[in-house]
Amino acid sequence: MNRKDFPCLDVKVHNKPLVYFDNAATAQRPQSVIDAINHYYNKTNANVHRGVHTLSGDATDLFEAARESMATLLNSPSEKNLIFTRGCTESVNLVAQTFARSRISKGDELIVSEMEHHSNIVPWQLLCEQTGAILKVLPFNDNGELQIELLNDLITDKTKMMAVVHASNSLGTINPVKQIVKIAHARNVPVLVDGAQAMPHIKVDVQDLDCDFYTVSGHKMYGPTGIGMLYGKMEHLQAMPPYHGGGEMISHVTFEKTVYNAVPAKFEAGTPNIAGAIGLGAAADYILRHSIEHIHKADTELLNYATEKLLKVDGLRIIGTAKHKVSVISFTLKDVHPHDLGTILDHYGIAIRTGHHCTMPAIKHFNVPATARASFAFYNTKAEIDYFIESLDKAREMFL
Amino acid sequence: MDIKQLYKTTILEHNRNPRNYATPKEYTHKAEGLNAICGDQVFIYINVEDDVIKQMNFDGESCAISTASSSIMTEFLTGKTVLQAQALFADFCQLMDRKLNISSMPSLAEVNNMAGVKNFPARIKSATLCWHAMNAALVGKETATTE
Repeated sequence: MNRKDFPCLDVKVHNKPLVYFDNAATAQRPQSVIDAINHYYNKTNANVHRGVHTLSGDATDLFEAARESMATLLNSPSEKNLIFTRGCTESVNLVAQTFARSRISKGDELIVSEMEHHSNIVPWQLLCEQTGAILKVLPFNDNGELQIELLNDLITDKTKMMAVVHASNSLGTINPVKQIVKIAHARNVPVLVDGAQAMPHIKVDVQDLDCDFYTVSGHKMYGPTGIGMLYGKMEHLQAMPPYHGGGEMISHVTFEKTVYNAVPAKFEAGTPNIAGAIGLGAAADYILRHSIEHIHKADTELLNYATEKLLKVDGLRIIGTAKHKVSVISFTLKDVHPHDLGTILDHYGIAIRTGHHCTMPAIKHFNVPATARASFAFYNTKAEIDYFIESLDKAREMFL
Repeated sequence: MDIKQLYKTTILEHNRNPRNYATPKEYTHKAEGLNAICGDQVFIYINVEDDVIKQMNFDGESCAISTASSSIMTEFLTGKTVLQAQALFADFCQLMDRKLNISSMPSLAEVNNMAGVKNFPARIKSATLCWHAMNAALVGKETATTE
């Protein structure tokens, strides 16, 4: 676990050393991920699951090894529970359009939380438009903690599905998803957990959570963009209709009838993002090698250090003050609009995110049009946080 | 141009004392400018009499660059005819087009100060939002985006 493993952290921005605090948007990738992608294209480039030739076999081995690494990381009962997708967004859409769509009809209800990313709202809204189902919202309190005491009353006999984020990308909140799953299951409601922001920071054990689906974004967990995973319970995956039709997902095709391939191939139509999958496997290996517990400890230390320092900055308000957080801090600074702050900090080499972070309802809750967000990864340093605080002061002075 | 220079010479002064920042009771044209990506929201109110812009105001919630641009624009366009304002909108779009490499246009006078924003490509839309809203108002559209 070393900062030197991440080559992009060495670049300069406006002639200043890069301070990369936009990890919640996308993390940096370690050299081992970059090397794994290069190795595939340089040495084993061939299609998977198709050829009898050596190279195709090698590519297939690497591709399937990546699935196994992800199964280990997630403590999945089998690698067969894991489907390669383009990312969390596609994973949610897949579940909405196959699993949920096949069991939802007019007047049925779906539950999401108030702090969801747009990617865990809009696919459900589309489903509601298609079926006449109703979307209900589990609210959070002013600290940014879900009011799970309201969940049992929110669930009715018509509730067919719940989707909730494990860790909020804008507020940082780590939700008690195990407890949520338990409450929902007691009422026979299956639960999808959006793990985009949790995977790079905390231990995820899909069997312990007992969730029905868990979605993974590759690039948030130090892997490549355009690749992610969907974990699903086997009985669901077997019962669900396919998502996309095409090659790979079939075992037999005639014009009269097509027999689908077994899970997970049933959900992987077309030539997949092979290099991306291999890169994701390398990212999983990186986390496994260095242990998520170590990573979480380092992240939390940075979170606590930064929170303490930020609270001392005049006119600064932290948006999202849950007791359990990943290393994401949204904030506003009096008299300085987040976009101006983002531009000024960029001038000092500091990359932060500004805006609504694709969680417009969550940001609206706090009555602000936008926030600035600093998000840390284990490779960030306290010295970087000190420099960030100094730069915040300079920005604030400019606006006085 | 250095970021501090840009803010100090133009942006901050207008941001502190924005001209024509008000919600007028009477106006003939109104439109909303919405930058969905960053959340900037500006409303432009125009009072046109005999084809002349008698008054132009703005309100809303946006960053300093957007506020300064609205302040400068409303000051500049007051007294111009509708046709002039639309022609100046076209000029401003050219000024702010990174591909065209134009640093100033004679027709735009003090508005040329906004050209410095071109050095910060991520913020160009903050500067152009109010102009799009102004044009939308004049042609009778309710909303404008910078997309």
